[in-house]
Amino acid sequence: MEIKTFIQQFEESLDGLEAGTVNETTVFKELKEWDSLAVLTLTDTIDLEYGVLLKKSEIESCETLQSLFDHVQSKV
Amino acid sequence: MPANQFVDVSLTGSVTVVPPKVRSIEEDLDLFGGNVRQIERLKKTLGLNERRIASSELTNLDLCEQAAQVLMERLNLKSSDLDGIVYVTQTPDHSQPSNATLLHGRLACSSDCAALDVGLGCSGFVYALWLAYSIIANGSSQRVLVLAGDTLSRLVHPKDRATAPLFGDAGSATMVEKRVGAGVSWFRLGTDGRGSNSLMVPAGGARLPFSEQTSEEYSDDDGNIRTKENLFMDGSEVFNFSIEVVPQEIEALLDFAGASKDVVDYFVLHQANRYMVHNIGKRLSVDLERCPVDSFGAFGNLSSASIPGALAYELADPLIGKDGGRSSHKVVFSGFGVGLSWGSCLLTLSDLGCLEWRVFNA
Repeated sequence: MEIKTFIQQFEESLDGLEAGTVNETTVFKELKEWDSLAVLTLTDTIDLEYGVLLKKSEIESCETLQSLFDHVQSKV
Repeated sequence: MPANQFVDVSLTGSVTVVPPKVRSIEEDLDLFGGNVRQIERLKKTLGLNERRIASSELTNLDLCEQAAQVLMERLNLKSSDLDGIVYVTQTPDHSQPSNATLLHGRLACSSDCAALDVGLGCSGFVYALWLAYSIIANGSSQRVLVLAGDTLSRLVHPKDRATAPLFGDAGSATMVEKRVGAGVSWFRLGTDGRGSNSLMVPAGGARLPFSEQTSEEYSDDDGNIRTKENLFMDGSEVFNFSIEVVPQEIEALLDFAGASKDVVDYFVLHQANRYMVHNIGKRLSVDLERCPVDSFGAFGNLSSASIPGALAYELADPLIGKDGGRSSHKVVFSGFGVGLSWGSCLLTLSDLGCLEWRVFNA
């Protein structure tokens, strides 16, 4: 798993989020594109790419994209 | 494992009736804080567009009664021809007696007729078919009428973004008949009661009767407002359940039937929303043209009427062969939702007498 690829997948799964606007330290819950729909599309992407089906509470307990990446990696 | 196969039983026609009142997602602008962009996103991603709302004097029983009358007229059947009535609903007219017995009275059926309700939602149409096929395959019954539908617009709180814009009202009537030579029909069903909290109307039953407290509004973490008398849905949990369970259930059904995905003409999935249908289709690796999804945008999520609604609204011409094609098709139905509960079946639909949708009293 590569953080660079993960960030790219994150950007692609959030409708309206432009490429190159987030990085490892981004607090993704504060993005204006972040809402309940984004939870679904991100859940789907992570499941399809890594075979890890996360609960909403798990995703939202991660603060930055790095911590979300680490969480996914720990479950792969 | 509830996996069953039945021979010489067939679905022979279906009618769906929707209320006249249309509400479009644009009318919900206030619900989304005037955020036009958010509405556009919901249209694009979830496929939200229009939904049907029953007026306060119209119940699901009224919608299903009209669907049943039209269906029997088209199939040249009389109410005395019915050996059974299976009615799936979570929004019956009364807590007792059941909608099935009320409909039996309204249609003036013979007393030689079994009638019961099934308390399920989005999985319910497949469960009701399973019962109807069993009743006919295992005895002397010739004909069972299946009704399916809800009026969930009455149960959602208008300020709950997780439910209010999604659900539409409809009633459907579907005929299941003994037909020698109909071939084999295959069913698989399942339940996960541990997920019962993720879709629920907490108050109004024996556990928590209506009271002043149950009618108090509260706001959740996402700022949605509802009371304990409203339908609550944890969209994220239900989504995870659906993508985890439904694709593998359909694979298992096809394994059980010894059929490949290529022989299936249509995968008629419960239209929870467009994103869900496309997602399950993708996970099954089937082209999305075989997964109808347009009735969601026209009517909303129709609960147990979603699959018959899709047959009538989107597949009437191809399935009946009106477009010059063949009149025998293999279809997979898959319903999943409140319970949590799911059911799938593989049927051969041949020589359908009627597939039709109409507006109530139009």
